[in-house]
Amino acid sequence: MTCVEVREHLVVCWGDADELSAEVLAHLAECEDCRLEAILLRETRIMLRSLPDEQAPARLTEGVLVRLAAEESQPGLLARMAAWFVPEDRPAWTRAAAVGVALALAVAGGSVLYHGQQPAGNAPDTIVASTQAQLPGQAEYDELLLRHRALEASQALADDPGVSLVSYYR
Amino acid sequence: MAKAATLSQAEIEGFVERAKRGDRQAFGRLVDEYKDKIYSYVSRMLGDPYEAEDVTQEAFVRAYRSLPRFRGASSFHTWLYRIASNLAIDVVRRRKRNDVSAFSLDEPLESDDGEYEREIADDTGGPADATGTRETQVAVRRAIMDLPEKLRDVMILYELQGETYEDIAEILDVPLGTVKSRLFNARNQLKDRLQSLVEAGEIEVEQ
Repeated sequence: MTCVEVREHLVVCWGDADELSAEVLAHLAECEDCRLEAILLRETRIMLRSLPDEQAPARLTEGVLVRLAAEESQPGLLARMAAWFVPEDRPAWTRAAAVGVALALAVAGGSVLYHGQQPAGNAPDTIVASTQAQLPGQAEYDELLLRHRALEASQALADDPGVSLVSYYR
Repeated sequence: MAKAATLSQAEIEGFVERAKRGDRQAFGRLVDEYKDKIYSYVSRMLGDPYEAEDVTQEAFVRAYRSLPRFRGASSFHTWLYRIASNLAIDVVRRRKRNDVSAFSLDEPLESDDGEYEREIADDTGGPADATGTRETQVAVRRAIMDLPEKLRDVMILYELQGETYEDIAEILDVPLGTVKSRLFNARNQLKDRLQSLVEAGEIEVEQ
């Protein structure tokens, strides 16, 4: 058995001789370095277990209850959003991400609603509507025609990205 | 090791159900039951009793908020540990981001009210061995604090809090094999750190 193998066994059982196999014990009888390793591990465990218990301050329970009472009367919006999407036993970044996603969805939804209420960007309809309401002057007519052509051009570009604005107007 | 539970499993489940329905006093009973366990874990993770108190309080507040979604798939205590672990790790990472260098357990703590000496409870004997015990405890705590956070977490949960491999795997949301390999590395690293302290003459080992 090599020193590396023996030391792996030692770490697993904290160098406790009662838990070591005869093979490992035979190695320890001959190898001073591994014997020292076993002693160090045993001492490490003893030192660890000598640490005293730590008790929470007596006021902790009261502090929690006071906070709960205060938060129940006025919970934060973000805290409620995060708690709704992701449980508290998840890491903080997942809750932050949930809030981010919720905000992004809200913005996207608002944007869709806003644009849904705008008049369609259809130039001919606009012209017809305008002419029906009141005949435009020459300058206004030219401007409407220009906007109409610009819309047609952008539609053509969207349909075929290979078409350039210059080639379209030619 | 942290104080043993005094409530039976049935009592705990009863208090959890009542707390789920908004009974804060029932939840207070659960806080009383688990506060020492969670506080000692957080305190050992952070090495700062004042910050540990804040984090422990926050863990219980978040647990209460999240109770309606607690289905009992894991035990209540591993679920609590999991919340506390996430919060403690957040603090450790925030410290790293803010480049808060490691502190000495001998250095005083600073607070709004002034400076305090870090107090380490000594319940291990009379005055004759008190100094040696305290020095050793400070050295061991420092060695634990020097471990990387993932190894420290497993080391504290297994060796000091007395949790099982299975519970630790659930608390940290990692496979069982990862718990065992982290514990193996943590023991090795802790032994190496204490060995260097022994060689430096800061603590003594009886051979």
